[in-house]
Amino acid sequence: MSTPVVGESQHQIPLEFANEEESLKITGFWMFLMTDMIIFASLFAVFAVYRSRVAAGPTPDQLFHLGPVILETLLLLTSSFTIGMAVYYMRKDNLAAVYGWFIATIVLGAGFVITEVHDFVTYVHLGATWHVSGFLSGFFVLVGTHGSHVTFGIMWALTLLFQLRRRGLTDITRRKLFTFSLYWHFLDIVWVFIFTFVYLYGKF
Amino acid sequence: MSDSLQQHESSEESMEPGLEFLAPKFESEAFPWTQIMGYVFSLVLTFAALLLVINHAMAPTLLLAVIIVLALGQAGLQLGVFMHLRESRGPAWQLLPLALAFFIAFGLIGVSYWIMLFKTGVS
Repeated sequence: MSTPVVGESQHQIPLEFANEEESLKITGFWMFLMTDMIIFASLFAVFAVYRSRVAAGPTPDQLFHLGPVILETLLLLTSSFTIGMAVYYMRKDNLAAVYGWFIATIVLGAGFVITEVHDFVTYVHLGATWHVSGFLSGFFVLVGTHGSHVTFGIMWALTLLFQLRRRGLTDITRRKLFTFSLYWHFLDIVWVFIFTFVYLYGKF
Repeated sequence: MSDSLQQHESSEESMEPGLEFLAPKFESEAFPWTQIMGYVFSLVLTFAALLLVINHAMAPTLLLAVIIVLALGQAGLQLGVFMHLRESRGPAWQLLPLALAFFIAFGLIGVSYWIMLFKTGVS
């Protein structure tokens, strides 16, 4: 099904790992993601405890419409694929393809944030703000923390795009693109659990 | 795809006995099949969960268990296919804290949820 890349030696490792210092930074970034995972885990735990405490506010079933949520899921899953493709082409030294897939990732991420903000504004107009009930507090804090991570990720991606234009694919910009891809896939995983446990479970 | 998995022996440190499971693996392909299949499977897993819920395909408790298993499959897919989980310069040390973080995360959520099932008014 697959063959080693032509012209690349069997034991050559990707450049972002070939530099020892940059490789250490990738390991360090994994450690950051673990701590972030525990932050999200605690927010999920809070949501799990409060999701049935709706007070006088709407229940998850009354509040959620799956349409925008499915759109957000598609945007984020696709952007996870496009950043994966950017890393694939980064390892082939194809800067033009990296640009294309990376810009696609940023656009899809922005689409996700816009959809989510629109969704939140809709809820607020319905009177479903985060001080109405335990469920809504847990919901807005959990989903909002994820959304702010994505927003920060887009700003990070824009600065990285600027660096790629100025410096091309060096050891450092490769490592940065790789750690960005780790961050982005991580946010996709968190979203899958939000989609499952917050939205789908809300429709039981 | 196993033919493309390569074991990298780092020049300054080879695997210590007992740590072979942390040996890094790298993949390289002439065409990004792994990424494309990963994307297709991620869509399949998502829409499987969605359809099961929309159709109320099974009893609620079982349905929750099934969609969480589908989400875990999705997480494994993202980690394995897109995050290059096993890549590293030396031993893939990130695997150990990752396992610990999963343990803490699911312990935290699972126990919080479990204790709410009693509904004894403590909450």
